[in-house]
Amino acid sequence: MDLSGLSELRYVKREDGEIKIGALTTIGDLERQVDNSAWGRFLNDVITKFGSPNIRSLATIGGNICAASSSEDLIPVFLALDAKVKTLRKSGTREMPLQEFLVAKRKTALHADEILVEVSFPEPSARAACSFQKLGMRNILIIALVSVAVFLDTDDSRSNITQARIALNRLKGKIPQRVKSVEKGLLDKRLDEHAIKSAVERLGEELTLTSDFRASSEYRCEAVKVLLRRALVDCQQNILKK
Amino acid sequence: MNGKDHALVVESTERLLDVLRDRLDLKGVKEGCGTGDCGTCTVIMDGRLVNSCLVLAVQARDKKITTIEGVGTREKLHPVQKALMKYGAAQCGFCTPAMVLAGKNLVDHNPSPSKEEIKEAISGVLCRCTGYYKIIDAIHDAAKEISEVRS
Repeated sequence: MDLSGLSELRYVKREDGEIKIGALTTIGDLERQVDNSAWGRFLNDVITKFGSPNIRSLATIGGNICAASSSEDLIPVFLALDAKVKTLRKSGTREMPLQEFLVAKRKTALHADEILVEVSFPEPSARAACSFQKLGMRNILIIALVSVAVFLDTDDSRSNITQARIALNRLKGKIPQRVKSVEKGLLDKRLDEHAIKSAVERLGEELTLTSDFRASSEYRCEAVKVLLRRALVDCQQNILKK
Repeated sequence: MNGKDHALVVESTERLLDVLRDRLDLKGVKEGCGTGDCGTCTVIMDGRLVNSCLVLAVQARDKKITTIEGVGTREKLHPVQKALMKYGAAQCGFCTPAMVLAGKNLVDHNPSPSKEEIKEAISGVLCRCTGYYKIIDAIHDAAKEISEVRS
């Protein structure tokens, strides 16, 4: 069944303190609508590393979320943005956190007669800093060896971290997920070299990443630490710049 | 389709690629991988590049589609086509229709693209002969020519 004619599910809007994206919004639609805010640049970072322009004309936000693949790049970004999803069936709508919607690899909470209609996330504060890092063999048309998405918010004086969400893909046998122990270690701290170093070390202790013909688990576990470091340094620079 | 309406009854599983090649005889649309990777079957649909192997024919209903047959004629080539010839930017030629469409679509939306923007715009079309540089230079040149003509 082809849903692509439902143009009412193709939108990006700001409403009630949230950013709401219709499930049939294509990656290309999103590319043309994101602004220069922290979340806009965050999404733009993943979009410009997503497939190719040809693929972005057709691929939709909803399609990518519902594919629930372990290599998915948009899912870590939406998890870092604390996204929730809205579904629709004859008997009504449901809302749930994205992580809950993703039941297992290639499996979502959708019933047979239900569709995903929207993904939304709270509009980040002006102090928020985000970074998406993807490792692939090429710049474009490439499946991620591993990707990391980081979202940080700081207190009013921009010194201590008040919110931290870090999500990554390529976890062994799993859909993309947050690494909460690493997030917890960053809370109420300044984002200095010490905090970055201990976050990277803690990530290294936690993980089992997948092994396949593209890269071994050992390689991915080393690479992901570099990506987290890059993401945190990127956030640090964004916080300082403001 | 290239400025003309076509009324066709299609199967629900027919790909746009097959309808273009086999039913409308637009053989400039090439099939490479058939799985959305190589971009050789690129067409412009409502102003966006798409791989026609990934579009079902029914999804193209009421859409404006441009294939290489709708871009230029032998007598009156599109500036992108002329520039590709000038730069010798084709070898086997299999990706060339898609490259022309990617270049044309770029200059339609962005009259003075940078080389980085050109790389991005053609990144969905794989070329295994030329190493891309001549293609990038040619599109850059064509964009300049088009802007000069316009001004």
